[in-house]
Amino acid sequence: MPGSRRRFLAQSIGFGTMFAAGVPLLGACGGDSASGKRVTKAIKDGLSPEAGPLRVFNFADYVNPDVVAKFEEQYGVKVEITTFDVDAEAISKLASGAVEVDVHHSCAPATLSRLIDGGLLQPLNPSYLTNRGNVLSAFDDPWYDPGSTYTVPYTVYSSGIGYRADRIDPAEIEERGWDIIWDARFKGVTSILDDYREGISLALLRRGITDINTTDVDLIEQASADLQELVDLVNVKVNITGYTDVPEGATTLAHTWSGDMLAGAASYLPEGTDASVLGWWFPKDSKGPVGNDCMAVTSNASNPVLAHLYINFLLDAAIAEENWYWNGYLPPIEGLDAAYLVGQGLTPPNLESAVLTDDIIKNGLTYRPLDLETDQVWEAAWSRFTAG
Amino acid sequence: MSRRLRSRFGPLAVITWLYILWSLVPVLIAIRISFNSGRSRSAFQSLSLRWYYDDPTSVWKNDELRHAMLNSLRLAGLCMLLAVPLGVMLAIGLQRWRGRTSRAANTLMLVPLVTPEIVIGVALFLVFTQVYTGVPRGFTTMLLGHVTFSVSYVVVIVRARLISIGFQFEEAARDLGATRLQALRMVLLPQLGPAIFAALMVTFATSIDDFVISSFLSTGVGTETVPIKIYSTGRASSTPNVNALATVMLTVTMLAIASTAVVLRRWRRHGNDDAHIVGVSI
Amino acid sequence: MVPLHGRLSTRLWAGLATPGTVWLVALFVVPVYAILAVAFGNIDPILRTTAPEWNPLLWDFGPFRMILDRILDPDDLGAVFIRTGLFALAALAGCCLIGYPVAYFVARTAHRSRGLLLALLVLPFWISYLMRMLAWVNLLQTDGYINRLLGWLQLPSNRNWLDGDWPTVVIGLVYGYVPFFILPLYAALERLDVRWLEAARDLGATPVWTFLRVTLPLSIPGLLAASVIVVLPMCGDYFTNSYLTGGSPRTEMVGNQIEQFLRGSSQPQSGASLVIILMLLLVVLMAYYLVTIARSQREASA
Repeated sequence: MPGSRRRFLAQSIGFGTMFAAGVPLLGACGGDSASGKRVTKAIKDGLSPEAGPLRVFNFADYVNPDVVAKFEEQYGVKVEITTFDVDAEAISKLASGAVEVDVHHSCAPATLSRLIDGGLLQPLNPSYLTNRGNVLSAFDDPWYDPGSTYTVPYTVYSSGIGYRADRIDPAEIEERGWDIIWDARFKGVTSILDDYREGISLALLRRGITDINTTDVDLIEQASADLQELVDLVNVKVNITGYTDVPEGATTLAHTWSGDMLAGAASYLPEGTDASVLGWWFPKDSKGPVGNDCMAVTSNASNPVLAHLYINFLLDAAIAEENWYWNGYLPPIEGLDAAYLVGQGLTPPNLESAVLTDDIIKNGLTYRPLDLETDQVWEAAWSRFTAG
Repeated sequence: MSRRLRSRFGPLAVITWLYILWSLVPVLIAIRISFNSGRSRSAFQSLSLRWYYDDPTSVWKNDELRHAMLNSLRLAGLCMLLAVPLGVMLAIGLQRWRGRTSRAANTLMLVPLVTPEIVIGVALFLVFTQVYTGVPRGFTTMLLGHVTFSVSYVVVIVRARLISIGFQFEEAARDLGATRLQALRMVLLPQLGPAIFAALMVTFATSIDDFVISSFLSTGVGTETVPIKIYSTGRASSTPNVNALATVMLTVTMLAIASTAVVLRRWRRHGNDDAHIVGVSI
Repeated sequence: MVPLHGRLSTRLWAGLATPGTVWLVALFVVPVYAILAVAFGNIDPILRTTAPEWNPLLWDFGPFRMILDRILDPDDLGAVFIRTGLFALAALAGCCLIGYPVAYFVARTAHRSRGLLLALLVLPFWISYLMRMLAWVNLLQTDGYINRLLGWLQLPSNRNWLDGDWPTVVIGLVYGYVPFFILPLYAALERLDVRWLEAARDLGATPVWTFLRVTLPLSIPGLLAASVIVVLPMCGDYFTNSYLTGGSPRTEMVGNQIEQFLRGSSQPQSGASLVIILMLLLVVLMAYYLVTIARSQREASA
């Protein structure tokens, strides 16, 4: 019927106009873009701590629950820990407001500038950080945070290979290094880190390329192809649970972080299994990734004073040692070096190499920020691997 | 006679019963493991309530598990209270309202039912972080998300009943002098009772079970629900505490369903098969 | 008789329907539009998070086209889509093999015994999906009951089922979704007019012939509807396979990639684009499902 067609047309035009009018409204509804300015003002001195609960944002199983409990008891507040799996996830959740926290427990230096420039972190007020002097002087003015304005280092660690010493000869790993991951004998019991920087770097280092911040597209593509080989070659698993999988025996070879092996030795071995079954490999010439995670206070923290006190609490030498013993990741605290920890017998002798020496910290490779296009190339290369 | 015996024990019957066993026994085993006195999740040792009550990682003592349970229950309860009235009104309105806009609204109501959950989850996540940024993130956004996908289920369930009721009672009431609203309130709504009850239960169950949308909208430990907890601790957790958590939620849901069944049986009208309500609502 | 429909009453009914409709527009239509705005929008240069573009005239289709190219490349994202489709089809086949006999049996059972069977079939709905997966994972542990059963049957019994193999994922999908397949199929089979079968029997047909030539063809609409009901969620599923495997690229489905892109890569547009493409691929199934529901409602009210 002609009439109904005309009416339909009129309705569509009406609908279209309503829609077009509504679109700018949607834009207006959106919150301010998070690329606001850097936050440059810290909180004032001498404020008293809030009532909490203190909300902390961290990797899973990265801080000793007993240490947290001690903090809760000392300040009479509750601490809530929200976890993330990957650094990129943490940034995205903070930026979009999907998560609201007071302390970012594990900022990665390579992406710290994004957090700072994006106005997600606030400068620290040193008056609350009385234990600041305990930090190794190497971190007083790091490249990623001039003047240590926004962050305090939390842990130092290296990326290497954790393995079951009872299933593979340590001498063999010493000889083959990164290439052992590509050995088909360990089908089904090999894992690599679920992180695009770490994964692609693993493939690069295996080929002897030590520039883990490379912008060379061909090298990155080659790394991606190498990783893709792993899928069928060894049924590779991609996760960050090496600290439980290797001690429990679910994984024999894990591309993982140094702290995982120490934590595994301390807390995740099944009953009846001795720490001697664990092993750790890192290049002898220190040409392997070395990283450090940092603590910072978010710019929209509702408990900024508590946040400072928490950070300060973790910088206390005794607390840091207790925390280290549980999570295995070395805190950059004066006096808590390899000599002390090994000398005290706190490290199983077969895992001594997992404790970072000054040499490793100085000579190790660090992840630097990548510009947007390079980052996208790295991410695309990684996603080609995870797509199977 | 022999044919009936044959069909009762024939191959089809065997397959059916095997399927039912396959479908339910794993859950029974999981429940049994929740009462395990040891830490193993695959081998049963002896009976104990450790993971429910005693152990510091138990459902009762562990803050995170308890919060997850309470969050799930609160979300489901509030979702029921919001989604069912919205849905009932929408169902009645859609059925009686003629016109093209009505048909468009009807299609709009049906689309969430056919959309994959990940799409709805991503859409809601994006909209709350980019458009409705004023909405308190966490519990509120999760509730809004739950209501959104529940409304369509409610409409479908209530509409089935509306259709079988027909208009005659309301029209009779109008003949006797009642206004439309009065007829609605005093005649139609009571008759919709069983459907409203079924809608409440289905909303409760789907909200408690929801994983995808909750995990996209959750903001962290304080706003986790039981499915999220089961998922995140599932492989890493080395104790049966997560089994205990799941069993507790299962018990709550079963009690709710059982009470519905009892109430519905009392209210049952001829020809109102529960399976059809559930079948249609899927 | 005072009519229920008239101009005054229309306002009442429209008024009743308004809150629900407004809710759905605000919390369904707008969010879906947000996906488009993110996919065709930009990114914040500092934080690498999404900066959606609401005006369709300013949409940038670059990232979308890039993702499309990657999908069309079978070595790249195309593999994920193909794998997702294969998993869904394999799981659907499993559901048919298991579900059809069960649905048929229950539909043909005498009314009295049917109640118990139906209750048992409906039971999985009220059990949380993740709890059923949890139960399945418990059984599949290396020292779990499945391996023990295999050992008892003298079969190789130390396989690591949770390793990242596709059979585990497919069986997991079947286990998870088959209840959703059986019930609609049962409803359709139950509605089959028994007289067709009786006529065939009267004409001397064997039960097998009756089934193949009468029951099966008549049950096809029901089969299709049940298939669509399970395939749609399976294609967007990402938690079943990641729950059952240790994060293995060999069982990666589209949902996992979507999650990976949106969790915080510097390309949220890619994640949103993947969602759009997934929807486009499923739109035929979605439309079919919509039409079926709408038709059944219209038939019921006729």
